[in-house]
Amino acid sequence: MNAGQQPLVEFHDVTVAYGRRPVLWNIDLAIAEPCLFGVIGPNGAGKSTLLKAALGLVPVVGGFVRFGGLPLRQVRGRVGYVPQRESVDWDFPVNVMDVVLMGTYGRLGWLRWPGRRERAVAAECLERVGLADLAHRQIGRLSGGQQQRVFLARALAQEADIYLLDEPMAGVDVRSQEQIFGVLAALRDAGRLVIVVHHDLRTAAEWFDQVALIDRRLVAAGPTAAVLTTDNLQKTYAGEIELLEQLGQAVADRGRTE
Amino acid sequence: MFFEKPKNWARSGARSGHSNGFSGGFPGGWPAATSRSGVLWLTVAAAVLAAAGCGGPTADGGKLEGGKLARKAAVGGRPRILVTTTVVADLVRQVAGDRVEVDCLMPPGIDPHSYKATPRDAERLLEADLVVASGLHLEGRLAALLARLADRVAVLSVADRLPANRILEAAGGIPDPHVWFDAGLWSLLPAEVARALAAIDPAGAETYAARAETYAARLREADAEARERLATIPPDRRVLVTAHDAFRYFGRAYGIEVVGVQGTSTASEAGLGDINRLVELVVSRRIPAVFVETSVADRNVAALIEGARAQGHQVSIGGRLYSDSLGPPESDGGTLEAALAANVETIVTALAAGEAAP
Amino acid sequence: MTLATFGQSALIAMAGLGLTHNTLVVLGGVAAVGCGAGVVGSLTLLRKRPLVGDAAAHATLVGVAGAFLATGRRDLPTLLAGAAVSAVAGLLVLVLLRRFTRTREDAATAIVIGVSFGLGLALLGGITARGMPGGGGLERFLLGQTAALTARDAALLAAISLLAIVVVMAVLKELLLVAFDPAFAAATGWPVGLLDAGLMVLIAVMVVIGLPAAGAVLVTALVVIPPVAARQWTERVGVMLVLAGLFGLVAAVGGVAVSSLRSGLATGPLVVLVAAAICLASVVIAPRRGLLARRLRSRFDVGGDRS
Repeated sequence: MNAGQQPLVEFHDVTVAYGRRPVLWNIDLAIAEPCLFGVIGPNGAGKSTLLKAALGLVPVVGGFVRFGGLPLRQVRGRVGYVPQRESVDWDFPVNVMDVVLMGTYGRLGWLRWPGRRERAVAAECLERVGLADLAHRQIGRLSGGQQQRVFLARALAQEADIYLLDEPMAGVDVRSQEQIFGVLAALRDAGRLVIVVHHDLRTAAEWFDQVALIDRRLVAAGPTAAVLTTDNLQKTYAGEIELLEQLGQAVADRGRTE
Repeated sequence: MFFEKPKNWARSGARSGHSNGFSGGFPGGWPAATSRSGVLWLTVAAAVLAAAGCGGPTADGGKLEGGKLARKAAVGGRPRILVTTTVVADLVRQVAGDRVEVDCLMPPGIDPHSYKATPRDAERLLEADLVVASGLHLEGRLAALLARLADRVAVLSVADRLPANRILEAAGGIPDPHVWFDAGLWSLLPAEVARALAAIDPAGAETYAARAETYAARLREADAEARERLATIPPDRRVLVTAHDAFRYFGRAYGIEVVGVQGTSTASEAGLGDINRLVELVVSRRIPAVFVETSVADRNVAALIEGARAQGHQVSIGGRLYSDSLGPPESDGGTLEAALAANVETIVTALAAGEAAP
Repeated sequence: MTLATFGQSALIAMAGLGLTHNTLVVLGGVAAVGCGAGVVGSLTLLRKRPLVGDAAAHATLVGVAGAFLATGRRDLPTLLAGAAVSAVAGLLVLVLLRRFTRTREDAATAIVIGVSFGLGLALLGGITARGMPGGGGLERFLLGQTAALTARDAALLAAISLLAIVVVMAVLKELLLVAFDPAFAAATGWPVGLLDAGLMVLIAVMVVIGLPAAGAVLVTALVVIPPVAARQWTERVGVMLVLAGLFGLVAAVGGVAVSSLRSGLATGPLVVLVAAAICLASVVIAPRRGLLARRLRSRFDVGGDRS
């Protein structure tokens, strides 16, 4: 990709609607350089949908998404994906190694079965996420954090330049979260763009170089410190903040009467 | 509605202005003056029928089903006889000649075991003056309809009129209905048909009786001929293997052992065990030919032939036999006599010579 | 010449064991079908669409009746070709229903099953009611009619089954990927819709060649039961596929063997019963996933088995 001219990822006027209901509205977002990029917003804001639109998993009603100026189908091998953990039934008769090998299928193409090279790549990816000794465990018998790391290893096995991760820290214990973050940071340091849909504001502020605040529309995007201002947060989380305030009020009232 | 229609002479009398009797609108048939003698003929016919019933136990107890007589249809001058199978159609035509109009429910090549009536068929049944069926549950799926209509239209089930002691029993204790290929047995029926026809058309009673006698004689002749012809088959080859058990009367009459792949009704299925048993039979007795039928599928027979061939025994298809249905008028099996002769020829050629008929 | 006599003496020897030519033919054909049905059915089970086979099976009747009415022929290849066309058509209707109306998957399946089966029965009933020769034979497609299989028919069934297994093996990794994580598959550029369609066609084919063995009503059991049984025994997909094929084969052999011993026993239902027995046994006694194993584990374990 010619990173000099075109942004690595560009969302131009992206609108996604489920039936009549708009989920994303006129998103204009360009990410020029490799970094650790967070997509933040309240529930139902369309964060996952943004990723899925980029990957062609949901139809885009207006606008487009380009990678280095090119459409996805021309750069499939360069884009890695970590879907949400709940999107899959973990009671599937495969083990960790089988799942990670799936990341290599893209390069193999039809009619070819993973060979020595693919297994070596998969083993190395497992090493990087710290699951090397669980390679032959059936995936249903993993903890949440381990499952998340398997998905991450699979994406690593794609050997991509851009990684899109959908809520990789959801339901994961703190230690695993830090481990995962470590891997992502290493990716960034190696010159990859890592886009992460994330739910936790505190860790977002800590981890990401740049963020985008989404609430069906793009509220703000840019370096983390500049974007995560009180003002922007108010705008994005208005509904939730109000709810929280009401909750706080109700709890306080209870405390007074008892 | 229908209830009134057949038996109400007064009603048709009202149509033509007469108070009773067979009058009105019947060109060239019934002189109006015979209304009284019509009643007389009816009594005579009834008495004859009753007397015939005393001649010995028949399969149906000697009663003409329906008991009442049907009115002639308004269209056409001749009584309309509705028959079920082509075999029965032939019987009625032989006895009645041109005096009646014969309407056949099932065309040639149809399997009467599985034939189910449509509403249109039911109409045709009710419009007829007389319904003649084969009986003994050959028309398995029609039986219920016929029974239901029995009190609205006269029904004659010919096989039911045969002496009970000459009826063969099939597996499961039910009677075997395939009586027609025993020409000697079948020759008892023209008289019955003549009687039934005379009941609805007394003017033709003599004609019917005479024709019936002639036909019965011809049947007896055909019977003797068949027996003679089939006797030319060497004793060790006298086994007839067919698609279904339709030839047991034939076998009994003419001294041939018969085996069917399916049972007496085509509704039953041949299992793998049955096929194996038959292959065993065909191979051990070195039977040279098996036979397919015009109204039954060949599939089981093909499996049988293949099984025998695998054990080194060549068995071929000896020919296609008429079983539950006669052929079209222009074929070699358009009448019962013709079909019987054709069958006999096919069987003799295949079994006696050991080669397939062309 | 010597080959033929060798074959014959082998047959006579086997006939001593009750294995006649006809029995062997039926065994070969039905066993191949059972094996293939188990393998292809495993993929639909993993794809979480086990009833697709049911929809296809019930839609075959229309094609069988239609082929007979159109060509007047009753030979197996013709009727099966008709069945294949209507099975695929039924599945197409299913897909369209799901995509363009808001009908749920199970409701859409039920609709296709009911309508197509009703239509098929009406056509079949009409054919037998008119007493067309050989029309009575068409009703055998409801419950199977193995006895009348010739060697050529059985060879055709076996060849198609084998072909289906080869196709599955060729695109196994793609089918498994789509079954496990269709979103990831789509994102990494695999044609998920096409692969799903291909799997549906495979299931339709297996169901069609299963008609002579078990009939339209029961063939879905051949496609669902052996995979379910196999799943109980293993957490490796490869092993599951092999076991499913094996269970299908054993069920077929068992059913045919029992029905050849006595007259009047239909093969199709017996095959299904054997398959069901295998499944019941699997569900109960399989290690780790079986009922007994779980009982024992919960009794002796305090913690879970997660690390």
